Amino acid sequence: MRDFVLFAHIILGLALIAFPIVILLYLKKQPNWLKPLSILIAAISWGLLLPSGKLYLTFYPATKTLVNAGAWPWAHSIVMETKEHWGLLLPIIATVAAGLVATKRIEESRRWWILVIILSALLGVMGRIVKIGALA
Amino acid sequence: MAKFNFYFGAAASALLLAILVIVAELMVPFKDWLKATFGHHWIGKAVIITLAFLAIGFLTKNKKSLANLSDGKIEWYSVIASLIAIFLFFAIEFFK
Repeated sequence: MRDFVLFAHIILGLALIAFPIVILLYLKKQPNWLKPLSILIAAISWGLLLPSGKLYLTFYPATKTLVNAGAWPWAHSIVMETKEHWGLLLPIIATVAAGLVATKRIEESRRWWILVIILSALLGVMGRIVKIGALA
Repeated sequence: MAKFNFYFGAAASALLLAILVIVAELMVPFKDWLKATFGHHWIGKAVIITLAFLAIGFLTKNKKSLANLSDGKIEWYSVIASLIAIFLFFAIEFFK
């Protein structure tokens, strides 16, 4: 169960980096699939709350104990606390980006897609820091 | 006529999230209320900001600006400010 939600978490998180990059590359050409892909990205960002929530609520408490007892307690107190709340804004930001594409304000959506990419990448790095913190 | 204002909806939920995070950490009874009502404070915050996003997005569907600032600018600054505020709050709390 843990492996399944962990892989889902990682794969969906990576999709939130890869797909918006594709969107940015084709933003000027505005192909027909831009809108469906944008909506798919927004859907993925909401769906990602399920595996991330399961990991955080069910499996993270044990990791948290290790982090707090180790040499990097800030990995929980700063990094994980920030990550768990930044993650709540990710679907909102992706929905704004998709909504702008769906309402034909495609150029306006550019900086929101960039923010989705940066935030998703940062959340991934933060997750890695917490994992290392559990072993430190 | 627009059906939904993504910008104002997102600005409201971003600012609300920062407020919820800070208030929940500083006021234990509020965090306990979130836990008791939603099962976990994180779920409570997720539900509240999602409802705020939808409600404010629909309620401001005809608005384009607020105090001479465009909805796009308000949202951008609100989201960035919220992300920074959340990080700084936990960093300050840790080093306090």
